[in-house]
Amino acid sequence: MTRAQTAPTAPTRERPRAPVSTPGKVGEHTTRSDGVPKVKGEFEYSSDLRMDGMLWGATLRSPHPHARIWSIDTSGAEAIPGVFAVLTHEDVPGRKVYGMEVPDQPVLAWERIRYQGEAVALVAADHPETARRALEKIAVEYEVLEPLADAEAAMREDAPKLHLSGNILRHVRIRHGYVESARADVVVGGEYEIGMQDQAFLGPESGLAVPDGRGGVDLYVSTQWLHVDQDQVAESLGLAPDQVRLTLSGVGGAFGGREDLSMQIHACMLALETGRPVKMVYNREESFFGHVHRHPARMRYEHGATKDGEIVYVRARLVFDGGAYASSSNAVCLNAATFACGPYDVPNAEIESYMLYTNNPPCGAMRGFGAVQVCFAHETQMDRLAKELGMDPVELRIKNAMRPGIKFPFGQEVPPPAPVKEILERVRVMPMPEEEEVIGRDLRRLPGGVSNVTHGEGVRRGVGYAVGYKNVGFSAGFDDYSTARVILSVEDGEPLLEVYTAAAEVGQGLITLEAQIARTELGVEKVAVLPADTRIGSAGSTSASRQSYVTGAAVKQACEGVRERVFERVREEFGEEPGELSLEAGNVVAGGRTIVPLAELIDEEIEETVEFHHRATEPLDENGQGNAHLQFAFAAHRAVVEVDTELGLVRVVEIATAQDVGKAMNPQALEGQIEGGIAQGLGLALLEEIQIKEGKIQNASFTDYLIPTILDMPSVRMEILELADPEAPYGLKGVGEPPTISSTPAIVAALRDATGQELRRVPVKPEQIVGIAEKPPSGPPQPGGRGYSGIGRLDERRET
Amino acid sequence: MPGYERAQLSAELEVITSPAAERPPQEQVEAAKEAASGSGLAREAGPETTVLAGGRKEVLRATMGVIEAALDAGAHAVNVKVEAEGDAPRFDTES
Repeated sequence: MTRAQTAPTAPTRERPRAPVSTPGKVGEHTTRSDGVPKVKGEFEYSSDLRMDGMLWGATLRSPHPHARIWSIDTSGAEAIPGVFAVLTHEDVPGRKVYGMEVPDQPVLAWERIRYQGEAVALVAADHPETARRALEKIAVEYEVLEPLADAEAAMREDAPKLHLSGNILRHVRIRHGYVESARADVVVGGEYEIGMQDQAFLGPESGLAVPDGRGGVDLYVSTQWLHVDQDQVAESLGLAPDQVRLTLSGVGGAFGGREDLSMQIHACMLALETGRPVKMVYNREESFFGHVHRHPARMRYEHGATKDGEIVYVRARLVFDGGAYASSSNAVCLNAATFACGPYDVPNAEIESYMLYTNNPPCGAMRGFGAVQVCFAHETQMDRLAKELGMDPVELRIKNAMRPGIKFPFGQEVPPPAPVKEILERVRVMPMPEEEEVIGRDLRRLPGGVSNVTHGEGVRRGVGYAVGYKNVGFSAGFDDYSTARVILSVEDGEPLLEVYTAAAEVGQGLITLEAQIARTELGVEKVAVLPADTRIGSAGSTSASRQSYVTGAAVKQACEGVRERVFERVREEFGEEPGELSLEAGNVVAGGRTIVPLAELIDEEIEETVEFHHRATEPLDENGQGNAHLQFAFAAHRAVVEVDTELGLVRVVEIATAQDVGKAMNPQALEGQIEGGIAQGLGLALLEEIQIKEGKIQNASFTDYLIPTILDMPSVRMEILELADPEAPYGLKGVGEPPTISSTPAIVAALRDATGQELRRVPVKPEQIVGIAEKPPSGPPQPGGRGYSGIGRLDERRET
Repeated sequence: MPGYERAQLSAELEVITSPAAERPPQEQVEAAKEAASGSGLAREAGPETTVLAGGRKEVLRATMGVIEAALDAGAHAVNVKVEAEGDAPRFDTES
């Protein structure tokens, strides 16, 4: 049987009809078509999928962060009525490892456990409870090993090697100018630390795998990149890619945490083994073990400056804990190195960026992708340098702001626009929030809120600033592209546009944006964005703030192709018309006169498919030099906080921000992106950290891993700059990540202003604010009790 | 974010152990892994499988070393699959 014959002509599950909408044009406020169903609870997330006769999949995970597996006995599980399959590594039909950049992660562990929660075996059963009970009957004989849980320790010569080639996954070195001979009047050094943040998406990992009866499988899943999932799943199933078809299902947030595989291969293995649809849904605890997190980092910096405040050099040594497997750590290591100096004119720099394997949970992509960690460090350094120089911290930043035409420390020329000075000036002059008398104030507007911990006594206000930047799109030589198909037809006497891509809508508003572009380019009122799947070419990942640029450009170009085909038809039927042809409100127009309604002109569909590749980038050379990045996006933040200096409790009063977006494509969605990004930055500043003790997660729940709620969110004052990027579609810039990058250091700067404490580690804990400890205790508390200290079989948890 | 600096070449080596050899099967596999480990190019890809990824010359050189180590330890055979990566400069033989 040939490959083409194995691919069914129809999907195994009925394709939902794409809703038809009338979006605004580019630049207009447009309500998202998925917004109301999500608010009303009618939206179908991937965890809501079901099919007649489906089974439930479940995963046995290691309770140990580092262990050797001596045996796996599945007979007890297989004997349970209602269990249809129990699988181990021996049942992986193809490649036994997977990974987006480096395939180093076992689909199912065979010999060695490298992190707590690593998948060991799978069960498919007729009920989730049956599956859970079956997991308890799988007997795994472990030899527990000492975990290597510290990145610095993993660098040592005598450290146990967690992978064949050692523990250093990547080392990036940047040499710019001559640091050794640079003469500085003032030198400021410091060491900074950032905890492990979770993406904390609300929809856990989930999906439904459906065997097609011909050896292939359809997978309905929430993910960020359908095609890279397809490639990895097919490889591990030992199938051709066209035998594994993926369809995007409702995604409940991503933020980088769905770029790697979770249940994809497992569900497909169980479905192919049983010949039945298999659904897998992680619960919240399992979700913490089922996806990568933001890299914790330790960063040592030294800034040298003249007495007038001109930066002369920067030295930085960055050490990232990549956890047990590579994920996208290579790229994070590079990104952090390239953005280590911040958006400043730095004539001399030496950057060392290391990525280490440890026995901690694997880390990978998360909103900000390496730029978040270094921004906290370089912005803290800028504040300390300003203090040392007796300068205003904003003035110091403006004095050193990068500008178009100079070189980044990694050798690329700063392209226009690079409005660092302008966004800093904007946030500086924005009105400050009114200072309300603290004594007698409504408790809800005091630190600690209705916990009734202060009535205003000991409360101090602080103000802090920060600025950050990051690349948009994939970098360093990766061929980054997106595919789009646009189909113009007539339905019920009206022209209809269908837009088809594989780009993942993860809650950021992409499908609305695609519809806006289509309507803008072709002047058609009715637009439908078809469900994303792998029947069309790749759109790349919904990450790196890239989809508006890359998929937006692909949709725009496909529309331009359709438009040209329409005009050709008009010229064939009506001859050359005086004046330029255009499409307006469903009509072909020339010189202000309607030539023909589209509904009359089109007798058969007009379809165009475009693959848009952005400008090529380059890998860095051995000195860390190269035109590595495509586009840069900038944002500045000012934070105003109030602190209960006795208890270390914080209320963020307001965040003000200025961000250059190139073009505000959908202002409503843009504001949402900015506010959401700030919330995530606030979380990192004050609340969010996966607490790990000896390689074990201590707080795998939303009871114990704290994320900001609406009560923690301050009002956001924002100014949007629209300085067009001449290379980008509509001049737009990616907007998703910058709000997260510099909001964290701005809040911490405001805390320092209020308290006078050093605060060199985030998230900032109350004990740091009141000056008891600069770091949290080395043995963190174990909130949630012993139930969360391990994952795996219940009886094993009880033993730990 | 995917494949930043893709390897030019990868070689997948699966050790087929011999129960009749002097050294037990596990040691035959371990010998191959140890040889791979020394190359700095290796990662595990299965109980008996190792992948070497990197520049063309270094991968080919290391592949020979792993095969020799496995055979010296008594392995019956080594299955080898060598692949040039899709978007790597595959004809650059300098590295």
